[in-house]
Amino acid sequence: MAGWPRAKTRERTRVSAKGFAVILVCSAIVSAAMASWLPLQMSIVTVFLFAGPHNWFEARYFLMRLPARFGRSRNFFIVAFAGIGVLTLAYVSLPALYYANVWSGANWPNAIAVWNTAMILWIGALVLMRARQKRNGDWFWVLPIAFTLCAFNWLAPELFSLAIVYAHPLVALWFLDRHLRRTKPEWLSIYRRCLMFLPLVIGGMLWQLSRTSSLADDNGLFWRITQHAGAELLPNVSSHMLVSTHVFLELLHYGVWIVALPLIGATGAIWKVKAIPIASHSRGFPKLIAGILIFSLLIVAALWMGFSFNYSMTRDIYFTVAIAHVLAEAPFLLRMI
Amino acid sequence: MKRTLMLSAVICALLASAIFAFGDIARPKPSPAAAEAKVIFYSGLTVVSDPKAFEARLQISQDTFKRMQEAAARDGGSSLSQNIMHSSTRTIMAGLFMFLAVSFGGVWLARSNQRRNHRSVAAVLLIAVVLGIGTVIVRANAGPPPYIRWQNLPQSLKDGKETSGGVQIELVPGDDNMKLIIPLRKTGGKGEE
Repeated sequence: MAGWPRAKTRERTRVSAKGFAVILVCSAIVSAAMASWLPLQMSIVTVFLFAGPHNWFEARYFLMRLPARFGRSRNFFIVAFAGIGVLTLAYVSLPALYYANVWSGANWPNAIAVWNTAMILWIGALVLMRARQKRNGDWFWVLPIAFTLCAFNWLAPELFSLAIVYAHPLVALWFLDRHLRRTKPEWLSIYRRCLMFLPLVIGGMLWQLSRTSSLADDNGLFWRITQHAGAELLPNVSSHMLVSTHVFLELLHYGVWIVALPLIGATGAIWKVKAIPIASHSRGFPKLIAGILIFSLLIVAALWMGFSFNYSMTRDIYFTVAIAHVLAEAPFLLRMI
Repeated sequence: MKRTLMLSAVICALLASAIFAFGDIARPKPSPAAAEAKVIFYSGLTVVSDPKAFEARLQISQDTFKRMQEAAARDGGSSLSQNIMHSSTRTIMAGLFMFLAVSFGGVWLARSNQRRNHRSVAAVLLIAVVLGIGTVIVRANAGPPPYIRWQNLPQSLKDGKETSGGVQIELVPGDDNMKLIIPLRKTGGKGEE
């Protein structure tokens, strides 16, 4: 896999480590304040503006991390891509089968539990395959942890899925950690110190919002947003608190993918295909990569149009199909560990 | 290979033995608590005194009232423990995976000769024990308990100030008057109560 050219990126840096920390902390505070103040409105606006673009940036980042030749990682990528494809298809087909009355809603938790189990075991398999490549230390401990997660999943499958909804945005912070380690190691320690500030912000939000009344979910869109944040699963918790926390985490997620990762350590303009190793390699696929990126841009534009015409339905479709990018993060994060 | 086969055989034997155990524990008798209050909705509550008022008043916004009606229609849903108890498939699967987790955890521990691993396991166990004991001591009060917000209520009422906190709205059987239960703790003593 092509390494990030460290020397060049360091020369280009104009922001100091302290400036980076100030930007991070201020962004987190502003995001928390906005998410707490107007949770439903912020949820609608951020998903409308950033959901599509952040997927485009994420796809581009993954293409940057894709080796021109798989070599001994071939099996790892076969399992990774097969898992992403099969699990995404299964996830999308679940509501489709439900609405087609193929099976009743009573089996919904079991279906969710089966899907979650398949996902955990798939990630476990990827971790073990990655460990075999690295050959440093015993990674057998992954199995008991995976099985423990499976057990918790079967006890409360819907709560486990909700935990994924809240945990997924935080994965972006892990990506940024790995990215800084490669491109700006001198920022890593201050970044990790800033991460310690995050539980304080979330704790403060929970403390402030725990006594607020639940949000009015009297229209279809607001109901969908509160359900997505877990209002039905956690009826004794203020939905204002749930939605605000989720929106705050989503804002961090979008910020990392759209701003931090493309700018820090960038080796060229984002539209330059030559900056992507799999395109610039002598035996690479520049036209295919350019085609993928242009097609993805069209999907982003289509998503914006969909949001403009029917926001609720487009949001539902987006969050169902978006499971693919959630799954894709697992193998690429593992490749960076 | 031989070791893996032996391990698989032991796991299969243990799983097969579970069939003969039946697990036929008598169903517990339904407790009278089953017919008690059920939480249907969470909201905020502000208690304020008004020296000019003639009678106590309970003000509910139209939106909140509507959502309370909707929540009451849904009957508040079922609790996590109820969900687990009512799904034998999920309980069996959770038990199976828990068994696999413990088994593979044990195998990992047994085959890891590194002292560092043993130290990390000992550290994890120690943390688990400390957290367990701590949880017992503090009665699982994760984070500041909600009743803290109501501690100043008597003084605030005297001073004519507002006191706000969270409130769980419960449906209770019967046709009694509405009741507001404030979680006030006596202060100055040894315990909380």
